[in-house]
Amino acid sequence: MRSRKTFGDVMLVTLVWLSMIIMIVFTLYPFLNSLAISLNNADDTTRGGVTIYPRVFTLRNYQTIFANQKVYSAYLITIMRTVLGTISGLFFTSTLAFGLSHKSLYGRKYYTMLCLIPMYFSGGLIPTYFLIRQLGLTNSFWVYVIPNLVNLWNMLLMRTYFANTPDALEESARIDGASYLRIFFQIILPISTPITATIALYIGVFHWNSWFDAAMYVNDQALKPMQSVLMSIINESRFAEQIAATAAGASLDVSNIARSNQTNVRSITMATMIVTILPIVMMYPFIQRYFIKGIMIGSIKG
Amino acid sequence: MGMLEKRRTAAVHRAPFWQRLLHQWDLQILVIPSILFILLFAYVPMYGIVMAFQEFRLGDFPGASQWVGLKQFAALMKDPNFGRVLRNTVVISLLKLAINFPIPIIFALFVNELRHERFKRISQTISYLPHFISWVVAARLMFDFFSSDGGAVNQVLVGLGLLDAPIPFFNRGEYYWALAVFTDVWKEMGWNSIIFIAAIASVDIQMYEAAEIDGASRVQKLWYITLAAIRPTIILLLIFTVGGLLNANFDQSMMLTNQMGNKLLQEYADIIDTYVYRVGISQARFSYAAAAGVFKAVINFALLMGANMLADRLGESALF
Repeated sequence: MRSRKTFGDVMLVTLVWLSMIIMIVFTLYPFLNSLAISLNNADDTTRGGVTIYPRVFTLRNYQTIFANQKVYSAYLITIMRTVLGTISGLFFTSTLAFGLSHKSLYGRKYYTMLCLIPMYFSGGLIPTYFLIRQLGLTNSFWVYVIPNLVNLWNMLLMRTYFANTPDALEESARIDGASYLRIFFQIILPISTPITATIALYIGVFHWNSWFDAAMYVNDQALKPMQSVLMSIINESRFAEQIAATAAGASLDVSNIARSNQTNVRSITMATMIVTILPIVMMYPFIQRYFIKGIMIGSIKG
Repeated sequence: MGMLEKRRTAAVHRAPFWQRLLHQWDLQILVIPSILFILLFAYVPMYGIVMAFQEFRLGDFPGASQWVGLKQFAALMKDPNFGRVLRNTVVISLLKLAINFPIPIIFALFVNELRHERFKRISQTISYLPHFISWVVAARLMFDFFSSDGGAVNQVLVGLGLLDAPIPFFNRGEYYWALAVFTDVWKEMGWNSIIFIAAIASVDIQMYEAAEIDGASRVQKLWYITLAAIRPTIILLLIFTVGGLLNANFDQSMMLTNQMGNKLLQEYADIIDTYVYRVGISQARFSYAAAAGVFKAVINFALLMGANMLADRLGESALF
């Protein structure tokens, strides 16, 4: 049975469709525009007006950045921190979550308390900075991995999931004399792919996108990840833009040089940016359902 | 459970704590390494808060410097920079609370109203996308989007005759708060809506059917059923948002201002977190910056507790 369509209903449907279309345009345009510029001839980009497709197609910008040794090493650092960070983070987060999901765990109340407090109160940036220094983690690759081993929000999601797995599986294994270690790694973990995939992706994206720890604790250029390289290129391009702005009132020649220089930097920036986000954007359609699943699990609890 | 097992368990319950741990070593060993990491990386910095009540000098062992009482906090209150920083933090957070908090709810309600399944799925997928890129990338995309030199926003506004000349948005401090709000909506609206979409999906379909029989319109169903059903979720997230009022997004402020390199924006973009970073790390005034950090953490915590208590008093779903 369909309810009658009032004037308000028609308005609502129109409003909904219109908002969605506006949202889609606003969201996608900046991405497509950057992609187009990265694939467009740098001098042609200077003329302005490149929208969502390259006008004079070229791969020059990408060739330029891949000729740069710095980009390779940064990319490698990003991949390494993402892989190592995800595996180790998943390990420590899931073991803790599994333990805390057991009512029989001695000291469970204290452990849980210990985990909840830092979610709402933290020592802050300065004390953390000195802790990292005292531990000798500055200028080390491990500063990307070790401080991020346990994420408490992720842990709570996993704990909720484990608490809802059927007890029968575990009980029968206990009767057969299996240890909790064995139960976790051989029985529970293999049947928990929905949550492990979700949390792995959360951790992975976190590592891929991190820039602050590199800015704060690492000076060694060889250890800088992709986000840091992108940041320095962006700042150079802002610099170039400022040069262009001040030169605009001066003679035409100076202004032209500045503009052309600006666009070269701009093309390079766009290409670097596309290279940085490409793995995420490519995987995104396939993995997004896992991200959403995580939030769904979290909201059951709430 | 056999007699023997029962007696053993009973004995263990009376045993000292460490013996109980030993008895359960295979479960404890899964928990203890992670707990040690938490103690180290979350609790040791909490102890480090004592720095805010001391005068730390480089070379001092953290926490072993000379005590100065509330000197740092007194200086903080008199610092005109901190007043400005506090203003920016509160204004940006309140604007986000008023605008960026309800928008994902409205978006979730809209998504729920889409009957075209394919378009619904595509819209959702696209809306989550910007959440997965860093603020480093998002800021660069926004610089171009709002650029006065061929940026899409300016071109459209000028084309429609709404502007006479393009505005260099990112070179004008007075536009920063609006940019902070817009870019945050752009990046997080879709993602923040998921939890509401999940809550809506769990509404009993029979409620809608009953309402239809009573002749309710779509607008009425949206208002009286859907919105009412997600009310507990809204309250819960509201508590979290209020509890993070003094955060105002460090990454966003840093990236939209080229790490505070854009002095034209700093006047409006400098928030507590960026101030702690600038003063503490760049200017090496460690104790002073730590005090600013403590100020933020304490007020945030008090706000969280206050919001939670208020929700509880009003008979709403509270956090704890």
